[in-house]
Amino acid sequence: MDLAKYRAIFVEEAAENFAEMGRALLALEKNPGDAESIDTVFRMAHSVKGMAASLDYGTISELAHRLEDRMHTVRDRGRVSPGEESALLFRGLEALEGMLEAVKSGSQPPPGDASLLAALRAPLATDAVAPLAAEAAAAPAKAPVAPLAGAAQAPTALRSASVSVPGPSSTVRVQAGVLDRFLSTVGEVILCTSQVRTAASDGRADGGPFEEGLDRMERVVGELQRRALDLRTTPILRIVEPLPRAAREIARRAGKQVEVVLAGAELELDRSILDRLSDPLVHLVRNAVDHGIEPPAQRRASGKPEAGRIAIEARREKGHVCIEVRDDGAGIDLDRLRARAVELGMLHPDLAADLTPAQAAALVFRAGLSTAREVTEVSGRGVGMDAVRATVEALGGDVEIETQRGRGTTTRLRVPITAAVQRVLLVSVGGETLALPIAKVERILETPASAVEQSGSDAFTLVDGELVPVLELASLLKLDPPPRDALRVLVLAEVRGDRVALGAARVLGQQQIYVKPVPELLAGVRALAGFTILGDGRPVFLLDPNQVA
Amino acid sequence: MARILVADDASFMRQMIREIVEAQGHEVVGEASDGDEVVEEFKRLHPDVVTMDIVMPRRSGIDAVKSIIELDRKACIVMCSALGQESLVKEALAAGARDFIVKPFKPDAVVATLSKVVEKPE
Repeated sequence: MDLAKYRAIFVEEAAENFAEMGRALLALEKNPGDAESIDTVFRMAHSVKGMAASLDYGTISELAHRLEDRMHTVRDRGRVSPGEESALLFRGLEALEGMLEAVKSGSQPPPGDASLLAALRAPLATDAVAPLAAEAAAAPAKAPVAPLAGAAQAPTALRSASVSVPGPSSTVRVQAGVLDRFLSTVGEVILCTSQVRTAASDGRADGGPFEEGLDRMERVVGELQRRALDLRTTPILRIVEPLPRAAREIARRAGKQVEVVLAGAELELDRSILDRLSDPLVHLVRNAVDHGIEPPAQRRASGKPEAGRIAIEARREKGHVCIEVRDDGAGIDLDRLRARAVELGMLHPDLAADLTPAQAAALVFRAGLSTAREVTEVSGRGVGMDAVRATVEALGGDVEIETQRGRGTTTRLRVPITAAVQRVLLVSVGGETLALPIAKVERILETPASAVEQSGSDAFTLVDGELVPVLELASLLKLDPPPRDALRVLVLAEVRGDRVALGAARVLGQQQIYVKPVPELLAGVRALAGFTILGDGRPVFLLDPNQVA
Repeated sequence: MARILVADDASFMRQMIREIVEAQGHEVVGEASDGDEVVEEFKRLHPDVVTMDIVMPRRSGIDAVKSIIELDRKACIVMCSALGQESLVKEALAAGARDFIVKPFKPDAVVATLSKVVEKPE
């Protein structure tokens, strides 16, 4: 039997089982007697037990077994006992997830936490006669200390080591109905083919049925393309689902209370985009809990409910999906943020005072601020926010932040729904053909060369009375400079929120391209967002304007 | 060789059974991931053998056995159970299941049980 294959299936399926289990446990926290959720947790534990046992992951199957048994008791009792038992079940799930991480990274899952196993076996006082309960309560104390510490640390260490291991994301689970529709469209392609073939063999390749057949084929292939792209999309739920639990855990450690509300999680996004948004979202939620939501006492003092509220809301916006993380916490202290930026030499003091609140808030995305650990409130917001921005921009999206002192902070990520097909502008630069995402292009200018003014090493031109920097693509990419024509072609584009004129030799036209990932050898070149093969067989690179300048 | 319908809510398990039985030249004619689906698929496919997980969503394996036996008294169902489910296995056998195999599956045991039920029709 191909164990590697089964391991990959196990990793994916168990992760889904855990996600479902987590959702059910959260539901049980609100409604401890919810029979359906009790059944779900039971079933998921059972399922994982069976799979793990088949692969000889003894520690996983043992823990899953204990969890399953515990849920059996819960089912008989009719409800999860809130507080201790609920926390115990969450602990069990977390331990299982830690073990799965180890499997994912190619190692054996760590031994189970003895105290956890014992606690899962220990009945509630109400489930058993008193002496039994007392004995069980004593059991955890007898557990050796060493494996405990090991078990607690192993998953974290492995987690960081697992980065380079190819994950199971190369497999895609598709509903059977989707495949059926796919197949029926393929059937139509076959019909068209025979129509064209018949027309061609009749020697009437010059029109009528032949043309009709080709037209139909083009339409059907377009349909196939759309369906194939649909296969790549998956509900946002997949990445936001763990967030309520993560938030709850971070809050618990910080002695805070938080309630997370999800909305729009059913919206679908391209898998490749979705997978990369996961870390940024975890980061935003962590920031919201750590640095946004105040401790209960402080919230009470300012007339807010003790439990902070974080809303994670996704909505569709014409070709994009916008995901918003909104907290009702303290907001960012913009004055301190300004001061910090000045202190670090990122900003001139005079400019700092002139920044609008929105511009000041956007300072959190500056890389340098992220290391400002001593100003915890500010630095917290800054840690990794530059990474969040870089990730979202690399996906062809953007990010913005809004904050109001005492009222809370909202961070908004906007990303395209599908990454695979993009409309691009093809330009010729130094003998090469390059593609620019049309979404970033405002318009194309043809200006006299004299309208580009040189000031030191910088060049500018006047557009609508506004001074816009001119960047020569040829020199940025170290290609041959453009010919010294009387007329210059400038592509007015948006680069990190600002207007920039990109100098090119010629504009070749617009086209819809299927963007393939950059070949591995060139993956280090950040300016390249992807590549495609044109109809004539020429490879063309897609530039990421944000990384060019 | 038998036409087999595989019911399990874990695709991992379905695939594993498929691989084991196909290596023996049996044909997996269908898969079901819950108790309702297996009954529907049974009606549609009339398989020679059903391998039935006990714990499944919507309708348990045992209830599915009852429904299938109601449809076809001679249906050949093999339960897939885990350790610790002995009483459920007994219940399933009482409801008309022919035999059982225990997870984690040992290919030999699966093959032996299948040939037993296939060769000895009731």
